[in-house]
Amino acid sequence: MAKAVETQNLERVKSVRRVPQEEYYVPGHRTCQGCGPALCYKLVSKATGPDSIFLGPTGCMYVANTSYLCSPFAYPWMHTQITNAGAVASGVEAAYQVLIRKGKYKGKLPNIVVMGGDGGSIDIGLQAMSGMMYRGHDALFIMYDNESYANTGIQTSPMSPYGANTTFTPPGKAIPEGKVLFPKDAPQMVIGGHPAVKYVATASLAYPVDLINKVRKGLNVVGPTFIHIHCPCPKGWLFDADKTIEVAKLAIETGMWVNYEWEEGEYTYQHTPKEYTPVKEYMKTQERFSHLTDEHIAKMQAFIDAKLKAPGKPVPLPVTSPRESV
Amino acid sequence: MAKEMFLAGCSAAAYGAALARVEVITSFPIRPYTGIMMELSKLVANGELDAEFVHGEGEHAQVAIAYGAAAAGARAYTGSSGVGVTYAMECYSPASGGRLPCQMAIADRALDPPGDFGSEHTDVMSCRDQGWIMGWAETPQEVLDNTIIYYRIGEDPRVLLPQFCCQDGYFVSHIPGKVVMPEQSQVDEFLPPYKHPHALDPTKPISHGPQIYPDQGPAINLQRAQAFLDTPAVIEEVIEDFNKIFGRDYKPFLDEYRTDDADFVFFIQGGHARTARFAVNHLREKGVKAGMVKLRFVRPFPTEAVAETLSKFKAVGCVENSTSYGGAMKGGNLIHEVRSALYDVDNPPAVTSFMSGLGGEVVSLEEFYSMAKVLAEAAKTGKVEQYVYWVGFDKGV
Ligand SMILES: Cc1ncc(C[n+]2csc(CCOP(=O)(O)OP(=O)(O)O)c2C)c(N)n1
Ligand code: SF4
Ligand SMILES: [Mg+2]
Repeated sequence: MAKAVETQNLERVKSVRRVPQEEYYVPGHRTCQGCGPALCYKLVSKATGPDSIFLGPTGCMYVANTSYLCSPFAYPWMHTQITNAGAVASGVEAAYQVLIRKGKYKGKLPNIVVMGGDGGSIDIGLQAMSGMMYRGHDALFIMYDNESYANTGIQTSPMSPYGANTTFTPPGKAIPEGKVLFPKDAPQMVIGGHPAVKYVATASLAYPVDLINKVRKGLNVVGPTFIHIHCPCPKGWLFDADKTIEVAKLAIETGMWVNYEWEEGEYTYQHTPKEYTPVKEYMKTQERFSHLTDEHIAKMQAFIDAKLKAPGKPVPLPVTSPRESV
Repeated sequence: MAKEMFLAGCSAAAYGAALARVEVITSFPIRPYTGIMMELSKLVANGELDAEFVHGEGEHAQVAIAYGAAAAGARAYTGSSGVGVTYAMECYSPASGGRLPCQMAIADRALDPPGDFGSEHTDVMSCRDQGWIMGWAETPQEVLDNTIIYYRIGEDPRVLLPQFCCQDGYFVSHIPGKVVMPEQSQVDEFLPPYKHPHALDPTKPISHGPQIYPDQGPAINLQRAQAFLDTPAVIEEVIEDFNKIFGRDYKPFLDEYRTDDADFVFFIQGGHARTARFAVNHLREKGVKAGMVKLRFVRPFPTEAVAETLSKFKAVGCVENSTSYGGAMKGGNLIHEVRSALYDVDNPPAVTSFMSGLGGEVVSLEEFYSMAKVLAEAAKTGKVEQYVYWVGFDKGV
């Protein structure tokens, strides 16, 4: 694809005081109180500004955000199927490439952003996302991860953690832990197989300036980029609506979530705790884990320990995961 | 002097798309439509066509890429065959409901099982209720012309609908025929640049496709239905304009062949109409008053034209090339539409149907002759014995 068109160059935000005051994701939606993905939308929209086109696959951030004649988006936004956000974004990007080249659209290539749920990004939407990443479209794919098929009533997705009580993995006598499988590693799937991708990051609602800057960095890169954002969901994870940020922070402190950037093969890590808190502390905050026994929690801790030492992900040593409290 | 070429349907479609100056093309391989994309990829690679060529990761993606591009304001082109057409099923309604007039070329292919390369209309006929304009070409010339015509119809602000531009696999897609190539200037005069009134444009932010409440559904669906009600008048206008600029003689909806004093007609769409013409000629030589009526658009279905035209005859045989298993007429699809169109007519003709050519089998002259026997009898008695005859299997055919 010819990349002669003028693209965006968004400034880095230095502190929370410098975050744009303007809102491009405005009131009028119907998300739950304390909704992590909605806060994510707000921050991402501040990062992109109005010279943007957003694509929203079916999921909470479609269904709870838009109602006909009332839309919270101050930029052009289009619904896509849960299955095809990456493909629709590819079409929009290809259109802008040719329209700008032919002089039919005067202006820079807009920020083209997909806001996909975990299902719409890495499960039923995986093929389209991978297609967009592979072909090198100049667009940003954001996976807002609320760790379930939330909109349909909190069913298990490949991002639901081991042990989660979802409406498709209820704990019972025969299957006491609820969800038996461990989650996919979404950013690694993108990094591992898409030569056109030069920038992948993870971000957390607990660190909004970092999140905004990662979005801007992703948008400034010419070519496809991917950001995986941890978005606690009070309704699905069963915690009080005022605890969203606390839960997000605790995820980082326990190693349930790791903030990092990957740029052309180089990893950098952000917000790494000096000492990891046992994952049990994180799990205690959410009722979706309340049925788990110590044995299950130990299994989760072992998974995290292994992940933190995963090849390709240098972790400052020694990793302290005090398991004695489990 | 217009240039003449010898082209198969696939190449004709590709040249039609190039003449229409398509801006985003999206491909995925499946026979037999693949030839269209092979031709277009050459034009793009050689710099003869300035378009983005996007290799979709499947047909579902192809249609999504095409309607995404149409939403962003580019003329978009894609295509498929057989299981590829049905694989993309989810994406058809979003394209038509979003009023995004991209075009999808279809070169028909039978669905699985059994694995089969042959042509059969069931692939895209099973998508006929998705809100796309849809019709078949009989020859490579008609393929090329329809490609240009469909964009003009679909992009008309009164219509704004995507289009299935269909041709039979192999019989049309792979058998070369003479094609009069239009001049680019003629095409430019006929087909203005694409401009969507509500494109995704940061200078005019709008939201496309938000969630609705059920009570908003009827009104929104009525708008799509209304577009189909308004489309026939646009088709008539567009065909008249096309004939004037290109010196052709297309009828908008129904192409009649030797029907003047016909007792019965074959009602047919697509490439097998070519054989039907020869069959009619031979039957006429033997004194049998046979004719043919070829359907050019199955969506929108030209109800009034069908009622008016077919009521002139004593018997009508729908030559079916698609299945509706368990349907009211126990076989194909066209007969449902034809009988419905004729319901309010005084003294309607006897109407039956013939399942033929499924799996890509040739519909031979002999088969047309045996259909003619059934139809001649029906014309005499005014009655049909069966709703459907499986040609070559049922008694009498
Ligand atoms: C093809 C298809 N299958 C199923 C659904 C039903 N559905 C609607 S929203 C949704 C959940 C989406 O989950 P995710 O992408 O994680 O977003 P979330 O709702 O969690 O924000 C599902 C399964 C659908 N819309 N389309
Ligand atoms: S279910 Fe979760 S993701 Fe969905 S709106 Fe509620 S809090 Fe947000
Ligand atoms: Mg989800």
